Parts: sequence; C-alpha cells; structure tokens
Amino acid sequence: MRQLARRRASRVAPRVHSTYSWHRGVSLFKMGREHKGGKILQTPSAGAGVRAASLRDLSAGIRGRFVLASIAGSRESERTRKIRGRDPGFRKFLYSMESKQRLAFHSEKGTGMAMQRNFGEVPRKACSFPEPGKPTPLRGCVPSKLVPFSVPIDRGLKFQMGGKEYQGSSSQSSPDPESCPSLFRYITSKSVAGFDVTPSPRGDPAFAEVPEATDDDIQAQTLCTPSLSMPIEMIGPHHAHSISISMPTTPSAFHEEHSKAVLENENGVAYPTGRQTHHPISSTAGLLQQKQAKFHSQPLPIGNSHTNMPPDTKLDHLVRPQQMPRNSRFKDKRYDSFKTWSGKLERQISSLRGKPQEPEEANDSKSTKPEAVPADRFFDALEGPELDKLKASEELVLPEDKKWPFLLRFPVSSFGMCLGVSSQAILWKTLATSPSTSFLHISPTVNLVLWCISLALMGIVSAVYVLKIIFYFEAIRREYYHPIRVNFFFAPWIACLFLAIGMPPSVAATLHAALWYVLMAPIFFLELKIYGQWMSGGQRRLSKVANPSNHLSIVGNFVGALLGASMGLKEGPIFFYAVGLAHYTVLFVTLYQRLPTNETLPRDLHPVFFLFVAAPSVACMAWAKITGDFGYGSKIAYFIALFLYASLAVRINFFRGFRFSLAWWAYTFPMTGAAIATIRYSTDVKNIFTQTLSVALSVISTIAVAALLASTVIHAFVLRDLFANDIAIAISSKMAKSSTKDDGRILASSSDTADVEATVDGHLLPVLSGEPMI
Amino acid sequence: MLSAFMEGKEHQLPIATTTTATSAKAQTKGLDAVVAMKALSKLGGFHAGYFRISLSLCGQALLWKTLSEPTTDSRALRLVVRLLPSTTYVLLWSVALAVLVALCFLYALRCFLRFRCVKAEFSHHVGVNYLFAPWISWLLLLQSIPAFLHPGAALYRVLWWVFSVPILMLDVKIYGQWFTEGKKFLSMVANPTSQITVIGNLVCARAAARMGWEEIATCMFSLGMAHYLVLFVTLYQRFVGCNSLPAMLRPVFFLFIAAPSMASLAWDSISGSFGTGSKMLFFLSLFLFASLVSRPALFKRSMRRFNVAWWAYSFPLTVLALAATEYAQEVEGGVSNALMLGLAVLSVLVTVALIVFTAIKAGDVLPHGNDPFAPPCSP
Repeated sequence: MRQLARRRASRVAPRVHSTYSWHRGVSLFKMGREHKGGKILQTPSAGAGVRAASLRDLSAGIRGRFVLASIAGSRESERTRKIRGRDPGFRKFLYSMESKQRLAFHSEKGTGMAMQRNFGEVPRKACSFPEPGKPTPLRGCVPSKLVPFSVPIDRGLKFQMGGKEYQGSSSQSSPDPESCPSLFRYITSKSVAGFDVTPSPRGDPAFAEVPEATDDDIQAQTLCTPSLSMPIEMIGPHHAHSISISMPTTPSAFHEEHSKAVLENENGVAYPTGRQTHHPISSTAGLLQQKQAKFHSQPLPIGNSHTNMPPDTKLDHLVRPQQMPRNSRFKDKRYDSFKTWSGKLERQISSLRGKPQEPEEANDSKSTKPEAVPADRFFDALEGPELDKLKASEELVLPEDKKWPFLLRFPVSSFGMCLGVSSQAILWKTLATSPSTSFLHISPTVNLVLWCISLALMGIVSAVYVLKIIFYFEAIRREYYHPIRVNFFFAPWIACLFLAIGMPPSVAATLHAALWYVLMAPIFFLELKIYGQWMSGGQRRLSKVANPSNHLSIVGNFVGALLGASMGLKEGPIFFYAVGLAHYTVLFVTLYQRLPTNETLPRDLHPVFFLFVAAPSVACMAWAKITGDFGYGSKIAYFIALFLYASLAVRINFFRGFRFSLAWWAYTFPMTGAAIATIRYSTDVKNIFTQTLSVALSVISTIAVAALLASTVIHAFVLRDLFANDIAIAISSKMAKSSTKDDGRILASSSDTADVEATVDGHLLPVLSGEPMI
Repeated sequence: MLSAFMEGKEHQLPIATTTTATSAKAQTKGLDAVVAMKALSKLGGFHAGYFRISLSLCGQALLWKTLSEPTTDSRALRLVVRLLPSTTYVLLWSVALAVLVALCFLYALRCFLRFRCVKAEFSHHVGVNYLFAPWISWLLLLQSIPAFLHPGAALYRVLWWVFSVPILMLDVKIYGQWFTEGKKFLSMVANPTSQITVIGNLVCARAAARMGWEEIATCMFSLGMAHYLVLFVTLYQRFVGCNSLPAMLRPVFFLFIAAPSMASLAWDSISGSFGTGSKMLFFLSLFLFASLVSRPALFKRSMRRFNVAWWAYSFPLTVLALAATEYAQEVEGGVSNALMLGLAVLSVLVTVALIVFTAIKAGDVLPHGNDPFAPPCSP
C-alpha cells in the first residue's frame, strides 16, 4: 500500500512545476479570447471555483519560487484592476504589499502554493467569461491538496494581493477608468479565513450583475491573469467560509467527481458546493488520501478548530505542520525515524495523559520512516572526498538548519581520535625502549600518560557511541551503509589493538592470547562483509567505492598481525597478514588507477591520502615480527611507506583549505606508524641518518597530533562546531521529489551511466550480454 | 562407518557416469541416421565445461592419494583412510581415468564433427578457459597415479610434456590476448573462470616440482602467479567480465578458492616445505572460502536447477582440502587437523552429492541439443 502510494506520488509529483500553473493560466486565457463571445465560461457556484494546490511535497527543490497561480479574477477584482491600472500610486501600494506577502511566504521556507481555478459548471447567467467551457485537464499541474492561505492580518487586503499578483503584470495596459475599487467594500478581516475560498451564498447574484460588455477589457486583462472565477464571494463580508478542497493526485483524476470541496461557515456548517460536499468527512477523507499518497502536507483542519483560535494561532495551525516542521512542537517527531524506539513510548505516555494525538503527526512520522538507503543514493546525494556534503539538489530527512541531538551528530569517525592518541602512545613507548633512540632518554612515563589518556578517550568515545547504538540505531545503520563511513567501523577495533600494542610495560608485561582473538573476531567479520562486497559486486564493488579510507579496512589486518606476532602467536598473524596483503594489493592498484568509475576518490589531495602510508609501514613491522628479523620483505614494505610519505609530504601545500573534521584524527596515525617503522628500521640499520630520520618523523607526527588537538579544542570550545550536523546519515532514501520530471530523468540517467556496465557494455562490449548457460 | 558410506557412494560413480557416457557414445555410433543426427546435435552442446566433472574426480583422486600417503604420522582422518582397502583408491583413480577418457573422446568427436562450435568456444571469454580443464585433469591424474608409474620414470616425463605443452600454448594465446588484442583485453574478458588458466600453470609447476625439475617448476609458477596477481586485482575491481557471467555460472566463483590453494601446493612442492609463502596463500584461499560461504545469496539463482556448472563447487573445495592436508602436515595441532578433516569431509561430501545428482538428473546434465556458444555456430 505504501509502496503503491509512493509510486503514485513519485509518478505524479515530479511533473508539477510550480511556475507552470501561471503559464498555463495565461494560455488558457489566450484561448479564451479566441472563443470570445460564443462560449460561456462555466463556473461552479460560488466558491468552488478555486482550487488551491499545495505543492508542498513538490516544493523541496523549488524552495522560494512558489507561485500564486491564480486567485481572484472576479468581477469585482476586474473592476479594481482597471482602477489600479490607472492609479500608479495604488498599484505601487499593492505591489509593495504583495512583495511583503511574498517575503512572508519565503521566510516560511519553501512552500510552493498554487491556486487553480476550477472550470466547473456554473449557471450560464452567472458568468460571462469567454472561456472554453470544458473542465481543465490541468495536465502538468497536479495539486496534491489544498492548502489554505492563511492571512493573519488584514486578510482581505492580502487576499487581494494574491489577486494582485497578476494584476501587477497586467494592469499597465488596462485602460478602463473606473471609480474606487469595490474590492475594499467587501473585505473584512472576518471573511477570509485562511486564504481559503469563502464563498457566500449570495455570490451568484454578484456574478450575474456583471455585464458581458466588458469582455474585451476582461480579456485584455485576463491575458495576464491566469486565475479568476474566484470572485468577491470569497471576501464576502457576512458569511466567512473556509473551504478545503482536496485534489486528486493524478491528472486523470482531476475532475469534480474526485475533488472534494467543502464549504463551511464559521460555525462549521457545511454548504454543498460543486457536486460533492463532504463536511465532517472531508478532513478525514483528505487524510486518507494523503496517507495513500504519502504526502507530507497536512489536511486542512476543519472549521471548528479555526474559530476557537485567535487568528495567529490559526495561521500556525494551518501552516506549520507543512511548512514549519522544525517548530519545536514537531521537533521530536522529526528525529523519530532515527530513534531505536521511534518515540512510541513518549507518544503512549502523552496519550495516557489525555493529550489528543494528532493524526498528522503519526502520519508524518510514518511517512518519514526510512528504509535501507541504497548505495547509489549515497553517491547521488552526497559529494566531497569523504562523501559528507550534500549536493544542492538533495534534501535531508532531518532539519537542516537546526542542531540535531548530540548523539545524532556523533559520527563513528570520532574513533579516529582514539587512533591518533593511542598510536602516539605506541610511538613514545618505542622511543623509550628502542636502543637506537636511547640517546634521547625518553621517560616511559610519557607512554604511560599517553596510554592512560587514550584509554580514557577510548572509554568515553565508546560509551557515547554505545549510547548512540542504543538510542539511534537507524543512524548507525545509515553510517554502516555509507560507502566511506563503513571503513571507520574498523577504527574502534584498530584503536583497541593499538592500546594493546602500546600498553606500558609497567601495566602489563604480557597479554593473554585470548585478547587477540577477541579483538580480531570483529575485524574478521567486518572484512568478510567489506571484501565480500568488493568481490561479489553490486553497488559497492571496489571500482566504485575505492577511496583511501578503505585503507582502514586493510590496515587492521597488519596491526592485528603485528600484535599477534608480538604476543607469540604463529598462524593467526600469518592468516591476517596474507588476507591483508592480498587485498592491499588490490586496493593499491585500484587507487593508483584512479578509475573513472571511482566517484569517491578525491580529485585533489586531501589528508585522507595519508592513509596510503599506514598499511606498508605497519606491514613492515608486522612482517619483521612474523619472520623474527627486519629482513628484505620488511625493508621493501618500509621503503614503500617511506616513499609514499615523501611523495605526500612534498605536496603539503595542497593540504590547505579543507574544512576540519574529526576524521582527520584517523589520518595522523599513518604518520605515527611511519615514525615507529623508522625507529624499528634504525635499530636494524643504525647510523646517524636513520636516527635523525626517526627523530624527525617522530617530531613531525607529534606536532601533527598536537596541531590537531589544538584545532579540535578550538572547534569544540571556541567555534563550537566540532560535532556539526552529520549530513551523511540524513539523506533521503529517494530522489529529491522536488525535481521536475526531466530533472529526475537526468539524474536517474546520470546515475545509470555512472555504472560501469552501462557505459562500457554499450560501447565496447555488446557481445557479452545474453550469455548462454555453459 | 563414514568411510563405508563413502566407499559405497564412490561405487555408485562408475554406474552413474559410465552409463551416461556409454549412452552418449552409443548414440553417436548409432547406425540410424536420425539417432546420429540427434547425437550430433547433442554433440554440439557438449562444451568443454563438462570437464568440470573430470576436474573434480581427478582432484578427489589426488586428495585420496595424498591422504593415504605414508609420508607423515597418522592423523584421525588418515587412519580412517588407511583402514580402507587400497583398492578403493585405485578404483577411484581408474574411475576418474575412465570418465576423463570418455569426456576426451566425446570432445575429440566434437572437434572433428563440429569444428565451428569449437572455434566459437575458443573465441568465447568463458568457454576458452575451460579448454585448460582437460589438460589440468590429465596432470592431476598423472600426479595421483598409483605406484606403478614413478615420477622419475621416462613415461611420466613424456606424459608431463604431452599435457603441459597445450597449457603453455593456450597460455601464450590467452595472456597475449589480455594485453595486446583490442577487443579481448583483460578488463573486458576477466571473469572468475579465467583463474583456470592460472591453475593450469600452477598444476604444471607442481607436477614438474614433483619430478624434480626445479627450474621449469619455478618458471611455470612465476608465470602463473604474475598473471594471477593481475587477474586477482582485475576480478576484485569488478569490471564488465564478471558482470557478464550469467547467474547460472555463479558456482565458478569458487575458483577464487582454487587458485591460491593450488599456488600454495605448488610453492610447497617447489620450496620443499609448507613455509610462510604457502601458508599465506592457503590462508588467503581460506578467507575467500569464508567470504563466499557467508554469502549464499550469490549462489541462490544458480541453485534452482541442476546443471553441469554445479560441478564447479567440487574441484576448488578439493584443492582447498589438499592444501589443508599439506598445512596439517606442516603445522601439527588440533586446529590444523580439524581444518583438514573438515575440509576433506566437505569436499568428499560435495563430490558425492554431485555424483548422486548427476545420476538422478542425468537429463539435466546432458547437453540440450544446441551449442551454448550459439551465434556463429548454429547448424
């Protein structure tokens, strides 16, 4: 059911372009002019002539460009138009009011609204518009639902402003001199409850009054006034009605029999309008329909609730559920989809307290309940070397301009800090114990202090992350599906391995072998998952996801081999070393190839490239431990690491200008690893050069960590943006609905062509498809 | 008990396979023209992929020979193997030989009568790799030969040359294609079956090392490993080749296991001991095995209907069990022995299950008339 509804919605929604209705209206009126004289515009009685379409669902990408497609066009407004056309001052005034109103809607962020007229049937006498009398197919503009315009102050005037929008463009040429616009006579603040249609039963006579003689004028004006037929009745003084019209979701269904029009006066009495009237049912029917279509917009609350509220509250009530979801009242619901328990508990509690549950909310939270986000969505929606920036065309499922709960902002890459600090502990342990650096007389206390710090840090970060697992499991899931982020799931285990390696001799001389198995088990299973994805293909195959941060998934093997070999194990370290070496070869070649299909490979240099150094420098130490001496194999790996380090270091200038992120901590441990490997090498080849090199590299890595610590402190306590909103986990699982159909097509095709098979198959290898079974 | 069970199952083998083979033979030699035409059309569909059967059986023969070798101290499984009469192993070997001979005969017939099909197969990116399979089978059979032919014997060496030269020629052809020919460069044609080419080299190297030809063995080993490295990286990158593999052929993903296992065996034979290099290769194949086993969804589509591609499961498992046996000889301990036992039992069970399936559903296995490499060679 939900699937179906979504399909419907996605089929329909992209076709709507909010500016379309305007042009459509214009062209309709052009047509109408050609038919002048002969045809009679058939308009339904009184107020049912207006369709107001909330394009909220479609508005996400069109933020700000909403269109008031059509309101007004009544006789009265015709007359006033003529007047206004003559009176520049008045025009100016109206124009300024209109722009104010526009501003107001803009500030409410991005809700497109369109009101369409309904070309229904109307008594002949009622209307003399020269208009082809057929019901408008309204193809291309499929309003999902009516959103009432709520005009808080001076509503009548503002309503007229709505009508004025067209007037503003058309009035220059209107020649008809007339007296004061009748408009003002009819407007009272009471009459326009919401921007809704508020027809008065007496409206028809007003229609009938209008002589056909003004047709030419009308046409001249309506040329630029796409909507109309919603005359003064709306602003009738005596009976204020709010109307709610639910629009069908498909163009084909856009006919009166499907539309639901409700006229209500302020006492909640329903007047039949058009063909069908649903009074009490209407809102529920609208809700039902909304549920089916999964629109985010809310049904129009019915009249009773209007009257009980002061106008401002009314506005809020009407508009906020759709337009201002980040209102504090709805804040909690927005995060529900990421919560482990989805806030059901709180809802139950609130219902126990007798608080009525608003169906919209339940509906809303249900509709935003995320599914598994496919990998290509991450590529489509995000950009940047760490795939953590949102593309302009995309929208988030969480509020963008507001700080999320801390746990949601706490990424798994925070474990990078543990990596950086614990590797420093290893470095200082090596400095203190290695014979080649004994001339420095480093105290083992430094190691102890650093180790304690990293242990505490590890405890804190793990505790927070466990809390995140408990409370926001969906966020963890999305991090796990993120093609880059998933590599950071190795970080906690690698950090634990670092802690075990860097353990001060004063704390424990030897470790139990079971610890190694415990730490390597999760790494092993993560590798089964990640490498299996590389091998068996799909969206996360290596030629697509290859990124330097994949080194994190490799380096765990070597660190584990190093720890295991230093603990005296034999076969286990070789196992992980072999697996790591094989996959390191694959990754190394793939990264060097810089395949065009590698969407996540940073174009420019980025600190993430330092991870290149990590694997060979750790591998050389691990191999030395496995074989027992720093032989040729170790030296080869070490020199590879040194070369990569040097080739990155000479390009240090390119590393400027990137936004600091917590993940940078993970990029310092390769430097530390290279320093440790150099110390290890200098114990084997002991001369002044190697000793200088080891000291220099140690100093560099320490400085890097210190600088990173400083910037972390600055970001945490001064700028207070250390934990910014974690955009990467909040992308919507579908294509942004706001894009027009064409846009959607382009996006889809671009994601298709990003596929290797699609392009290469088509161009180079047409033969290979359609393989017979052999 | 288990051994008795296995023995019983092994006895089914001649019945099952020879009946199918003889029936096919009988058909081809039938005097009736219709029958002959039918047989001929079936012959068109008899592609080299059927050598998967002989690969598995010859691998099993080698495994059983290795298990029954008295070179090292007896382990649990080896004890069981010893309890079997030695004729069991000889019987298995002769059955493998019979099946291989029958398959070779059929394929030779196909070469003569349906040469266009063979040519089409040769230019096919999956089919060409299975042209290695008969020679690999022969080499495996040669290594597992019963005691009457010693590796030092002249006949043994002649046979090695006879079976190795075609592999070398195919190597030159295919590896040359990979980096020279415009349409068949590696990223286009790479698919898991390409690893059979590497396995061919490694089997050659192992047989040569067994004969004491160190240089030739090292040469073949380095040739194989260099291309294995390239192939491994390419396969992991998942270009077109892998994706052009039909779902039915997914079982050949198990060849990912076979290549490093065979490399570890070859390096074991060359270096004389199951050293670190061999261990690393063995562990790599063990990891890949775990990786493949942990995603059964990959093979779900191919498991719907029995077909000859299922035989691709057996051979890699057998080679892995062989490597595990060598590993258990080197590293003595409960874990390595359990590993050997588990893998050997698994490979035997899989082979037996495949034999049973083949016996039951012979109709599914036999070629269905037309040649799979249809476009250029439909008669």
